[in-house]
Order: sequence, then C-alpha cells, then structure tokens
Amino acid sequence: MESGTAGAGDLRVTGLTKRFGGVVAAAEVSLAVSPAGVHGLIGPNGAGKSTILGLISGFLRPDAGRIEFAGRDLARLPPSAIARLGVARTFQQAAPLAGMTTLENVMVGMHARYRHGVLSVLGRLPGLRREEHEVRRAARAALADFGLAAEAEADAADLTFGKLRFLEVARAVAMRPRILLLDEPAAGLNRVETERLSGLVRRLRTDGVGVLLVDHDVSFVFSLCDQVTVMNYGRVIASGPPAEIYRDPAVREAYLGPREPGAEPAR
Amino acid sequence: MRRSGRRRVEPLVAAVVAAAVVAVPLSGSGFWLYNLTVVSLYATPVVGLNLLLGLAGQVSFAQTTFMAIGGYGTAILTTRFGVDPWLAMAAAAVLSLAASVVVGLPLLRLRGHYLALATFALALGTTSFAAGATTLTNGTIGISGVPPLALGGLSSASPVVAYAVSWAACGLATVASAVLAGSHVGRAWRALATRQDVAATLGIRVTRYKLLAFAIAALMASVAGSLYVEFTTFVGPDLYDIGTVINLFIMLFVGGRGSVVGPLLGSAVVILGPQLIAGLEQYQNLVFFLLLLALLLLRPAGLLGRIRDPAPLTAILPVWLLRRRLPAR
Repeated sequence: MESGTAGAGDLRVTGLTKRFGGVVAAAEVSLAVSPAGVHGLIGPNGAGKSTILGLISGFLRPDAGRIEFAGRDLARLPPSAIARLGVARTFQQAAPLAGMTTLENVMVGMHARYRHGVLSVLGRLPGLRREEHEVRRAARAALADFGLAAEAEADAADLTFGKLRFLEVARAVAMRPRILLLDEPAAGLNRVETERLSGLVRRLRTDGVGVLLVDHDVSFVFSLCDQVTVMNYGRVIASGPPAEIYRDPAVREAYLGPREPGAEPAR
Repeated sequence: MRRSGRRRVEPLVAAVVAAAVVAVPLSGSGFWLYNLTVVSLYATPVVGLNLLLGLAGQVSFAQTTFMAIGGYGTAILTTRFGVDPWLAMAAAAVLSLAASVVVGLPLLRLRGHYLALATFALALGTTSFAAGATTLTNGTIGISGVPPLALGGLSSASPVVAYAVSWAACGLATVASAVLAGSHVGRAWRALATRQDVAATLGIRVTRYKLLAFAIAALMASVAGSLYVEFTTFVGPDLYDIGTVINLFIMLFVGGRGSVVGPLLGSAVVILGPQLIAGLEQYQNLVFFLLLLALLLLRPAGLLGRIRDPAPLTAILPVWLLRRRLPAR
C-alpha cells in the first residue's frame, strides 16, 4: 500500500513497537507524514493512537522501531529536542499554562525563536528587546488568526472549552513546526468550531506543514486527510487514501462497526 | 476572569520601599540602620528562592547551604589566608555556583520531590558539617575577626556603609529578578512550573532552565552570606540552621511568591515584626505567629502574591492545614 512518496522532509515511523507490561500498545507500526500532507490516524479507543503520538514526541521510549525525521532518530531524543527539530504536538486534554495569559501561552510556544540567552536578558541588550517586540507582535497576530484576540490578556485557564482547544493548536503552530501532531483537536467542538478548525488545518497544509491528525470524528478526519492509517489493538489494520479506507471491510468491522449501514462520510 | 491588580500595586510598593531605604540613613537611627541591613541580607537569598520556587516552582532548601559557602568561604579566606574581602566574596560566589551545578544537575533532572528531599538533607548537613569540621570551620565556636570590606576610603565597619553595600546588592538582585521574570526566561520558568511536560513539548530545555534558576539563587545566597559575615565579623553554624531555612520560606510566602518586591516585604515582616512587639516579652513569639497566621489566612498568596495555586510546599506551614478548610477564594 503506497503511503506517499518518500521525501527529505518526511517523518517516517518504521516498525514501532511499545509494550506496557504484557500489553502490546503498538506493534510494528509504520507510517509516514509528508510536508504539506494531512495524515489521519484513527482507531477505536485503546487502539494505540495516543501511544504513537507519545512515542513520536519523546514522552515514551519505543521497545523497537525507528522514528526518522531530518536525518535523526527521534526515538533517542528528549521531548524538547524533538520539538526544537520541528515536530510539535498538542494534547488530547487541552493543557493551558494556568497563571499565564493567553498571549503568554502563545509566546511560550515561540520560545525557541529567541537567540538571546540569560546574559543578554540581564544586560538588557537592544537586540533582545527587538526580538521580544517581534515575538509579542507575532503572538498577537496568531491569536487573531485563531479567534482569540479578545482573550489575549485573560488567564489561559479561564478560557471556554472551545477557545482552549484553539489555544492548544495556536500555541503549537506558534512553534513554526514542520510536522504537527494533533491529538483529537475536534473532540467536543461544535459544528462551527470544527469547521473553523478544518480551515486552519487546510491552511497549515498549504503552508507546507505535515499534519498527523488523531481523531474519533471519522467524517472530520476523512474530509481533511490525504492518507489514513487505521489501528486496532496496537496494529495497523489498513492504510491508504480515505475513499479506499472507507470501503475496507476490515476497517468497517473493527472501527465503524459491522452492522452500520454506510452512508458516505460528509465531505 | 482574573486580572490581578498586582501590576498596578507593585511599582508603587517598590517606590515606597526604595524611598524608605534611602530615607532611613538620613534619620540617623542606629536601630533602623542595623535592622534594615539585616532585612536586606535575608531578602537577597529570598529573591533567589523566589526565582526558584515562586517562578520555576522548584522546592529547594539549599539556600542556607550557599549562604554558608559564602559566609565560611569569606571568613576562612580572609582570616587564614589574608585574602582581600572582596576577592574572598567573589571566590566564595564562584564556589557556590560550581556547587550548585554539581548538586543541581543530577537532582533537577528528576521530577517530583527529590529536589526538596535532597536539599533538605543538604540543609541539615550544612549545620552539622559546620559544627563538626572543626579544623576547617572552628566548630561551634565559629570564626571571629572577619575583616570588613574596604570601599574607597570607607569601611563597612561603619553601619551606614554596610547598609549601603547590602542594599545595593539586594537592589541589584531584585532588579535582576524583575528583568528575568519579565523576559522569555521568566516565561519558560513559569511554564515549566505549571506543566513540565507541556514546557518540554514547546521546546523548553527543562533541566537547563531549572539549573539556571538554581544557580542564580545560589549566587544571590552566597553573596548575601559573605556580606553578612563581613558586616558582623563573625560566622558560626547557628547562622545556617534549619530555623533560618524555614525563615527564608516564611519570608517568601508572606511577601508573595512570584512577585518582585515581595521578598523584601516578607523579610522586613519576619525580621522587624518580632522586634516591634518585643514589649510582649514571653508572648512575643506566640503573638507574632498568630499575626502571620492571620496574614496568610487573609492573603494566602502573600502580601504581593500572584500565584494562582499555592505550591505544594505550603504544607510545611501549619497554616496550610487551616487554609484548606476555608472555601476557595
């Protein structure tokens, strides 16, 4: 099954395996995320989707397999190094930095942009002040993009559920990632918000960002993705373009449910 | 939605504190001159603790250890080897920085209470070592006759000079902490204090930033420790006992974690408070404790506090037990 042409900017996962005690959370999972592509990762609860995100972002160490990106094996790197290489992630449970404003949250996402260190800070160097000004301006623009301009000075923890989700994505996008891992970004969003999120993901693709999209909302995933990987019990049971996946009997059996008469997913 | 009034209040408090610091020597009161010198010398390590605990959320009891390195380092180098007091202070500061990296690097990699536990052991060990290593520290007798600092034609044996030098150091530390807190470094600290995993995901090298806070705090403690010994001309193990550690924490919690001027206020309350009610004699400590209790019940985040959720460390204060029974504010 083809999974996009291999390119230099790809995130390539090969034979990834992770066991928790006797439970195999991921068994020889392989997939590739290309720049300017949206790759969907779906599967029932406990299929191993979040384990894959945890492995790629460095929070979990694989028992076997490789995660290659930019000529490095991410499996050996700590989360901060992976983030600095350009692989960003969001959390399934939106994780605002409480006690900091919405604007500051996005500015923390821009942390790696600062080239000045602690001595420049103490010396109050003009170069740093320019940098700070630039980041603040960029962060405000990002908030406007994500519909959060009015909440810029509010404590991030006080945002509504939907706004929190957008902040989560805005903060990750602020890192200017080359690959973005989105963990159920649409969960709990209403129709209007989901539509807005779809637009943002499409724009990321246009900007050349590779997106790995984990979600339960099949129609949301299918409407956005070029490639879909389906997992069940830690294994990949199908992968390919959405239309193909939708017709795959094994997928229907495992994930969509055997008895469900299929209407075409919403486009 | 919570918008703190802190940003408007704090510059005002800072201005009042600065004015008071300038005004006191003009009053010519020996009592205030001496006590405010002490206030500044305890406030300085608390400014460091504030970066570490108030911003970066790391519980460390090691501040007295670095004060001791500063104090004993200066005393030993000046009295035994005739080193210039300024140079001795600088050498002790370098030693403290090195020690902070050696101690901090393995501990700060870990999450959770390891840092608190290990540094608590360090704090206990510091006093025992100072009392026990008699050839180095002269044991419980301590080292006297530490020479004062020379400043041009002036000497820190003069209370006004000691006052000026100690407040210059404290002011410098406070300004540095304000600048750091308002920068991307401060944001990185606050981020990792709240969610270490999120901070790492956003590209913040968590261990490096914790170590940075730990080292800066050590530097501030060391310099204040040196100055204290040079001004009082004496160093002994009691200066760094567990009571001092607890006092530093009370100063921070009373002043307000995460605020810039809070450490100065907290130090002033803890140093001056008991003396202002000295007339109560045997009830002095009890009344002072009750006043602290009342203060923390009314303002759980401290006088100028800006922290949303109290750090787990509040557990060291019995006050915390009472506070938890109250409805959330």
